[in-house]
Amino acid sequence: MTTVLVRPRVHPRLHRVRARWGWGLGALAVVVWSLAGAGAFSGEVTNPAGTAQFGRFAAAALSPALDGAFLRVLADSVLVTVAYAALGAALAIGLGAVGAVALARTTWGRRRAGWTLARGALAVPRGLHEAVWGLLLVNLLGLDPWVGVLAIGIPYGAVTAKVFADLLDEVPRGAYSALLAAGAGRATAALYGLLPPASGGLLSYSFYRLECAVRSAVVLGLIGAGGLGYQLSLSFSSLRWEQVWSCVYALALLCLAADAGGRAVRRRVASPRASGDRLRRDPALTTAVAVVLAGVGWSWWYLAISPATLVSDRTGAQLAYVLSAAWPPDVDGPLLSAVATAAVDTVQMSVIAIAVATLGAVLLAGVAARPARASAGRRLAGAVVRLGLLLLRAVPPPVWALVLLFVLLPGVLPGALALGVYTLGVLGRLAAEATEELDPRPRAALTALGAGPVGGWLYGVLPAATGPVLAFALYRWEVAIRDTVLVGLLGAGGLGALLASRVAAFDWGAVTTVLAALVLLTAAVDLVSARARAALR
Amino acid sequence: MSSRRAVRSGGSAQQSQFLSRRGFLAGTAATAAAAVLAACGRTSPVSSSGGPAGSSSGSLTIGAIPDQDPEVLQRLYGTVADSMSAALDLDVRYTPVTDYGAAVSLFRTGDLDLVWFGGLTGVQARLQTPGAQPIAQRDIDESFTSVFIVNADTGLTPADDLTPLAGLRFTYGSETSTSGRLMPAYFLTQQGVDPQGFPGGPGFSGSHDATISLVASGSYQAGVLNEQVWASRTEDGTVDPSTVLQYARTPEYHDYHWLLGPQAVERLGDDLPDRLLDHLTGLRAGDEVLELFGAGAFIPTEASNYDQIEAVGRDLGLIS
Repeated sequence: MTTVLVRPRVHPRLHRVRARWGWGLGALAVVVWSLAGAGAFSGEVTNPAGTAQFGRFAAAALSPALDGAFLRVLADSVLVTVAYAALGAALAIGLGAVGAVALARTTWGRRRAGWTLARGALAVPRGLHEAVWGLLLVNLLGLDPWVGVLAIGIPYGAVTAKVFADLLDEVPRGAYSALLAAGAGRATAALYGLLPPASGGLLSYSFYRLECAVRSAVVLGLIGAGGLGYQLSLSFSSLRWEQVWSCVYALALLCLAADAGGRAVRRRVASPRASGDRLRRDPALTTAVAVVLAGVGWSWWYLAISPATLVSDRTGAQLAYVLSAAWPPDVDGPLLSAVATAAVDTVQMSVIAIAVATLGAVLLAGVAARPARASAGRRLAGAVVRLGLLLLRAVPPPVWALVLLFVLLPGVLPGALALGVYTLGVLGRLAAEATEELDPRPRAALTALGAGPVGGWLYGVLPAATGPVLAFALYRWEVAIRDTVLVGLLGAGGLGALLASRVAAFDWGAVTTVLAALVLLTAAVDLVSARARAALR
Repeated sequence: MSSRRAVRSGGSAQQSQFLSRRGFLAGTAATAAAAVLAACGRTSPVSSSGGPAGSSSGSLTIGAIPDQDPEVLQRLYGTVADSMSAALDLDVRYTPVTDYGAAVSLFRTGDLDLVWFGGLTGVQARLQTPGAQPIAQRDIDESFTSVFIVNADTGLTPADDLTPLAGLRFTYGSETSTSGRLMPAYFLTQQGVDPQGFPGGPGFSGSHDATISLVASGSYQAGVLNEQVWASRTEDGTVDPSTVLQYARTPEYHDYHWLLGPQAVERLGDDLPDRLLDHLTGLRAGDEVLELFGAGAFIPTEASNYDQIEAVGRDLGLIS
């Protein structure tokens, strides 16, 4: 992750940057508008009587279901989830590698129109959440393992293609230009002049995608693709919290393994072991890549994937059926006004979610970061916070939405907060990593001068951490707007609820309209977020 | 290997290579080929063999939409599949599906041959799958009811008048549930209550159990669910009578039924519907299958039993 997003440099000048002030005030206004829209300033929002129900959920965390039969089912589900994640990520990286060529500035040179079109085409696969892809693919392919693989691979592939293209464009161009000047073709020059220096970044990002794919594979289970998420949703719909927690713990362990593995690889890529011979391949990295490739092979075998399904007559017939039903899109007045209302709800939900997550992440990042030297108490506090963050992101957003609805009154707020605590789990970890990578000297100097831990954090860490954390927050905002489809039901509204209701009625024309609205909204948020990040740099 | 060539390919001339590039690529290709070949003879853990292409001629795939106690489904349908398999001399397999919409689509695509649908989803599936026919229902399904429940703090006492519910925060169950959404909405309309007009809009809890919990918590002051689930939760003590109570019961309507797809009939013979009906109606009281379904017997049913559901579904925009 950290090698992917360019960390904003701290501005050396100390005067106020007007653009940043504009963005800051604008952001504040949007947050206040969203809170007002969610009814936070008008009347009751909490429901204290529901604490008993919430308590049941929380208490079950201490007594997860551990009977043998259930654990066996869980073990099988874990394998399915891992297989989906591995194949989905592999497909994404394959698509990303091909797509990167079509998206790189290097390919297009001065032909900006072509480049802009290629980038614009990405908005469709990127704008839809994995779960939405899953829902659509189930209708095309039936109960086939391809559903899970493609639902992860398509949206991830689009993101990966963009990131890969950026990485290739940002590599120093000396070798590439030299090869071109020496008469090499453009493909050859790119292969030998661009690929080797970019390979570290590409590898880092590939492993990051694999980590994300594990969480996505669980979400797909919720729509019936099998695996851990499927077991979770079965237990969830009859509110067997003990079983839900067992699934959550299994997922947390998976995430932890993926995080730790991915992190180790990325660290290794970022700072290669010094050795006498610089050109020697790092055995640890080679092993990691070989293990992952073997894992992909195993996943293919385990899920019994058959490429023939994709080109079978039946798939073609289903595609024709759904397309003929989905076109033309439904554009009657009531639907469009419902889409507009829902879009406002979706934006407000995502803004509240990201505001809550950012605030939490800033407050927790200092504790969650692993300091170089620390007391046992500090280490313990850090471990507890990191475990808490892990659980926040291991409980899927729909579960958060229901349990928060026990203690909050219905409306946009429960859904927004559900998304907020889930995003906090992700953002908290990113913020902690960003904090670890900061220059430790300002804080050390303040401490040496007698500043307390809070003062040292406020003046030595916070100013430098704000930039990177805000950049991550803006990046996660793009993700959050897609995630709103997961918490849409339960009266929370938004485009997700509208989509679910139109899919339930098999009203494909309206589904097309809602999907188009989602894609446009995500593209707009992408644009605003990219502008804001540029202002931070 | 000359040292220059070794260096160029990223290796060292002196030290033995950890894994040569050529070896690495060959290994990868071999793994991929092995996986593809091995996958050919395997059944995926997440799917039935899909549709006509995969189904052998003597097999029947059954499915169900989890509506209550979904984790019991596996056991339930395992037993049903075994019983059916023995009686009809067919290879009967159960495929779990979590989502209403997915089950309807899979029935249309022929992934599922015989599905235990709810009233509305059965109608949706039948309209999308020409040639599909309802086979049987439980004795309790021809006189199914839902119950409206309220939080005790509302101070409401059981009554037949539904109009006091109009001013309460109200949740249905799953959006396309017949007993948790469709028929209650119809009976609300009958009494002049707008089924979408509750303050803040109605919620969709997602399941009958979630409806009970949400009404018990007070986040929603009232809700509606399947009476069968309500009765079983009241019996086993999950429901706290001091926080949530039954307010009203709906009139009777038809609900769940077995729906058979046309492709299975093509594959297994025209007498399949009759054989299935004979088997299901032939189950005697006390049979394990009947106990798992909470029924005294299976009885025949016909498409016209669901005409009212279809009409209400169209009114609510759930059938287009």
